[in-house]
Amino acid sequence: MTAGPDGAQPIPHYVSAEPFDPYSVERVSEGQEKYFLASQWKLMWWRFIRHRAALVAGIFLVFLYGSVLITEFIAPYHQDTKDRRGVLAPPQRVHLFHDGKFIGPFVYGYSFKLNTETLKREYTDDPRKVQKLRFFCLGDKYRFWGQIEGSFHFVCPAVKGQLHLLGTDEVGKDMFSRMVYGARISLTIGLLGVGTSFILGIFFGGLAGYYGGWIDEGVQRLIEILRSLPHLPLWLALSAILPLNWSPILVFFGITIILGLLDWTGLARAVRSKLLSLREEDFCVAAQLMGARPARIIGRHLLPSFMSHLIASVTLSIPAMILGETALSFLGLGLREPITSWGVLLNEAQNIESVVIYPWLMWPAIPVILVVLAFNFLGDGLRDAADPYK
Amino acid sequence: MGTRGMTSYCSARLRGSMLALLAVLLAPAALADSAAIPAQFVEPPMLAEEVAKGALPPVAERLPSVPAVASMAWKGQTLGKHGGEMRMLMTSSKDTRIMVVYGDARLVNYDPNYQLVPDILQAFEAEEGRVFTFHLRPGHKWSDGSPFTTEDFRYYWEDVANNPDTSPAGPPVELLVDGEPPKVEFIDETTIRFSWSKPNWRLLPSIAGPSPLYIYRPSAYLKQFHEKYADPTELKDKLEDSGQQNWAALHNRKDNMYRNDNIDLPTLEPWVLATKPPTERFIFKRNPYYYRVDSEGRQLPYLDKVSFQVTDGKLVPAKAASGEADLAARYVRFDNFTLLKENEKRGNYRVRLWETAWGSQVALFPNLNANDPGWRALLRDVRFRRALSIGIDRSEINEVIYLGLGIEAANTVLPQSPLFDPELSAMWSVFDPEGANALLDEIGLTQRNDDGIRLMRDGRPLEMTILTSGQSPEEGDVLELIRDQWLNIGVSLNWKASERDTIRDCIYSGDCLMSVWTGLENALPTADMSPWELAPMSQVQFMWPKWGQYVETKGEAGEAPDLPEAQQLLDLLAGWNSNTDIETRTTIWQDMLRLYADQVFSIGTIAGVPQPVVVSNRLHNVPEEAVYSWDPGAHFGIYKPDCFWIDPAN
Amino acid sequence: MLIYVGRRLLLMIPTLLVISFLVFAIIQAPPGDYLTNEINECISRGEMGCSQRIAMLKAQFNLDKPFLEQYALWVVGLLQGNLGYSFEHQLPVTEVVGDRLWLTILVTFATILFTWAVAFPIGVYSAVYQYSLSDYVVTFIGILGLAVPSFLFALILLYFANLFFGLSIGGLMDPQYIDAPWSWGKILSILGHLWIPTIIIGASGTAGMIRRLRANLLDELHKQYVVTARAKGLPFRRALLKYPLRMSLNPFIADIGTLLPELVSGAVIVSVVMSLPTTGPMLLDSLQSQDMYLAGSFLMFLALLTVIGVLLSDLALAALDPRIRLGGGATK
Repeated sequence: MTAGPDGAQPIPHYVSAEPFDPYSVERVSEGQEKYFLASQWKLMWWRFIRHRAALVAGIFLVFLYGSVLITEFIAPYHQDTKDRRGVLAPPQRVHLFHDGKFIGPFVYGYSFKLNTETLKREYTDDPRKVQKLRFFCLGDKYRFWGQIEGSFHFVCPAVKGQLHLLGTDEVGKDMFSRMVYGARISLTIGLLGVGTSFILGIFFGGLAGYYGGWIDEGVQRLIEILRSLPHLPLWLALSAILPLNWSPILVFFGITIILGLLDWTGLARAVRSKLLSLREEDFCVAAQLMGARPARIIGRHLLPSFMSHLIASVTLSIPAMILGETALSFLGLGLREPITSWGVLLNEAQNIESVVIYPWLMWPAIPVILVVLAFNFLGDGLRDAADPYK
Repeated sequence: MGTRGMTSYCSARLRGSMLALLAVLLAPAALADSAAIPAQFVEPPMLAEEVAKGALPPVAERLPSVPAVASMAWKGQTLGKHGGEMRMLMTSSKDTRIMVVYGDARLVNYDPNYQLVPDILQAFEAEEGRVFTFHLRPGHKWSDGSPFTTEDFRYYWEDVANNPDTSPAGPPVELLVDGEPPKVEFIDETTIRFSWSKPNWRLLPSIAGPSPLYIYRPSAYLKQFHEKYADPTELKDKLEDSGQQNWAALHNRKDNMYRNDNIDLPTLEPWVLATKPPTERFIFKRNPYYYRVDSEGRQLPYLDKVSFQVTDGKLVPAKAASGEADLAARYVRFDNFTLLKENEKRGNYRVRLWETAWGSQVALFPNLNANDPGWRALLRDVRFRRALSIGIDRSEINEVIYLGLGIEAANTVLPQSPLFDPELSAMWSVFDPEGANALLDEIGLTQRNDDGIRLMRDGRPLEMTILTSGQSPEEGDVLELIRDQWLNIGVSLNWKASERDTIRDCIYSGDCLMSVWTGLENALPTADMSPWELAPMSQVQFMWPKWGQYVETKGEAGEAPDLPEAQQLLDLLAGWNSNTDIETRTTIWQDMLRLYADQVFSIGTIAGVPQPVVVSNRLHNVPEEAVYSWDPGAHFGIYKPDCFWIDPAN
Repeated sequence: MLIYVGRRLLLMIPTLLVISFLVFAIIQAPPGDYLTNEINECISRGEMGCSQRIAMLKAQFNLDKPFLEQYALWVVGLLQGNLGYSFEHQLPVTEVVGDRLWLTILVTFATILFTWAVAFPIGVYSAVYQYSLSDYVVTFIGILGLAVPSFLFALILLYFANLFFGLSIGGLMDPQYIDAPWSWGKILSILGHLWIPTIIIGASGTAGMIRRLRANLLDELHKQYVVTARAKGLPFRRALLKYPLRMSLNPFIADIGTLLPELVSGAVIVSVVMSLPTTGPMLLDSLQSQDMYLAGSFLMFLALLTVIGVLLSDLALAALDPRIRLGGGATK
């Protein structure tokens, strides 16, 4: 290399010896071509998959909601079946080998003794009672979705045997089956409640964001009032108003609507702020000039551009609904027997005996935690993926 | 918390009517404990310093000239030592009244045989059950040192009970016999006489009850709040400070001896409130002027202090298990026993099992005053009630929930009572689903719907919603088991937990069909205790609230009983009231019990479920075996907590 | 600016009025009132002289007047600073709330500190190392606080703290220090009990804060100026801390407004389970027994806090962020 004017060495640089191809900049590789030609949804999907946890969470939730459809089939017992000989019994472990031989999945039967000093029920595995699990069998009768009678189960205990994978409660009901039945209620509460708040949020947020002016002011005051209004007395009052003779199902719907009614403000504010900025965009102005009605502009043009954000925030409010239901149950305001939900189960476990002596009663906390985690990760992933053009 | 039977209101008023008369028959003048008065008295060390300074007079001057001597009558009670603090657990600041219940200082009180004897009073006479002469102890003083004399009774009677401002509704109903107030004579400083023209059998039991009728007030303290005695400007200042609207409101606010939340209000109880509400921990300190001593002259109570820690009801078993209480039974239930037993060593206590006195731990009350015509007809049909009762598998309930330790029985008296009859206990309470089905078919409920539930004549399915107070989860568990059992006989059951007043209103108005409560309040009666619980006597009896109110208000409200069997019970009760010989009364009791059980006016499930009582190893003189009952008994009251002691060495 | 503040202050008044009316109506909504509850309690407890006492109270506290009149009396009282009288405790409201308020503030403060202390590093870490395994793990921990049902968790922690540390179950201090004068022992006891509610209440707030911080920081990190800074060789930590972090602190300030009332009332459940002497259990009790003035006045106090808090945080935001100050509404 040639030296500079002062004899200083030039910065070393690299020159390729290959012939120069002026079109090298414009040629795209396979991957890049796919990327540039992909549709918006495809881009979002790829972004989404990058977030591994969200992917796992998504699969988990799909699986869980799918199981809700076949609850009766999955649960080994009906939610109300009481095992008189297995009251407050600890979980049974599934073994494969007995005496060194492989017999297939089985459980050892309970051997029961009442500790007369502490009045505690003591259960131990009785190695003489080998109870093999049956699969795709006929067991407890149930009504599929409350309509069709049936008794076909995925797994049942051995004939005259017991299968309590997560133990039993204080009247002998199988905890695992109760949790499975509870999943149906808890998971759908989330959806219904969120649906209510979604509709309300979009409606009010859209109005405020699009029109601005005093409609905006009014909606903002309304939101402020609702947010300042303490929820606790509202819950208490609304639950006290629910008539005494309503059936549990009606109470269930009532509770979901209540939860949804109190939750839409966050969504409305998000929608409003987004709309306030978006409606200055050219495409919106163009639509206005072309004579489109406000509803069409909001629904067809504005909303879809941040629908992904909406979906993300909706996904994140579902866990709040589920947790809200457990909180209501704790306060004694929510669902009660005979409806089984995770909140009801947790409320029953809310005593010192469950913590110290019968810890398996606290198992329903695990699915709650997992579902909330899953929805959170899913929502994070959706939100990250929501704007692929970033 | 579930120890308040709904009938304790009436029990205090109507209870043990002839206990007083019995006392009259046996001994015209009932005397106080005739144990010898000790010659020397022992000063409690806690007060020694103040006595030395001169702030308090010495013990001999603080006690009445004839103090009451503790008889230590319960098994295992011994003389004790002064000192120590007993810690207890409560759930609200309103529980300061529990100190009055446990303190159990009453004018007349129950002895270990449940006989009424003088306690605060030195002696009393009850002639013909209508003329009561009370003799106070001379020199007896309130906890602030002011004298306790008949002036306090006069102040109450003339200036409180009969003052239209402080008592707009007039004197309490226990002091009225058929509306007639007593003639009150203040004979001298320590003697007072109440006379009526007809027997007042409510007076003594209500004075002795856990929530007593107070016929006296600390007049020296209260006069400053009374318009007649107080300096007008001072009263006005006090009124402004307190925020009350008028002097009567202020007076009423300050004089609530049962509620026990006024730190300045003098008392006769063994311990005096020393911390102002609201607080998380109430301290009660020894009353220097307490009137009882032990047989060696030590002024009671032994314990210097009692503290109530206010906490959440659900945490009480946990705290008791970790040793944070010296004595705990309230808010502790049978299903806490295992936890408590397992932690005995860590918590340094022992948990005992005392007997309960209810007729049934969980009883169902079909509402005979229901509005709905279809249900009304069914609930009034005895075959329906019998079918429901024999459709319950009590052995399953006993085994699953009470570990087989309860007694499967109808809601009737317990085996320990002399009036017990095993036939009555088993009447309509033996599990017989075929019999139940037969009875229901006989009534005509033969149609069933797809779910197997019987249909009423108008086509509606037999679906009942039972109201429960939700105070204890075991009620829900029992109902769950019953629900399954009743499905076998074609009856569908739902239950709903509600606040107590909502339940009361719904049952009373006839909108609700059935409720759940504890059974007979006192299931250990003797023939000389009133059988009023078996008859419609009060609106708080959930199976016939309207009839009960009718009788209670003497026809002014409610409905007259129109079921012949209910009227029969009332007639039998009247017979008991007018006959005083034991054989007639025993026969009447037996007739009433038989009728009550045969008609299944309430459906009992399991009785005799023991009550765990946590007693710290430091605390002495708490009986090993005892009966835990509200009235009579005041839970711990009858066992005399002023005799409980803690060894200072511990 | 001043006009803006003035306008907001003026708007506060009708808002508060409407809230007060709603609060009053809601408290009265469940059937019955405090006195019927009292009567029934009294009777079922077998106490003497119930109906007499109740009759006196009824006349005394205007409970026999119509709804609107009671409401008007209450509001007028509030404006004069008279918070009313609690039936349940038979004391003025201020005395009942009294000490509890300080303890509530203490718990709230500790909780906020805890939440920030946990959320901040997790949020930053998770944004910087997006999609890495540690990102997931750390976010998992953050969200776990939200997911675990607080009441059950509280009970478990209480029991194990008692088992392993000998901590008395429930409450904010050992029983012998309650109402005792301040001393080192008392302070230590409070600290010893404080950590459980702080963790439980604070943990549920971390998830939201992590998410917001992460989202905002990510937005900033992808902006041109950051890319430029890094390309020019600025060390990453400096590039991160100097500007993007400050930008993403907006939500923290915006949240202050709603944080306090949320913490005070959202902690009700944990406070009830742990039997803390804070305002949560008092509020729940007063609502269930329909102790009108106690519940109503306290709720109005909370509402006032919210409204003022929102105003303050809006102002703070405007002061900090010139874009908000100088930006305007719609231009068309």
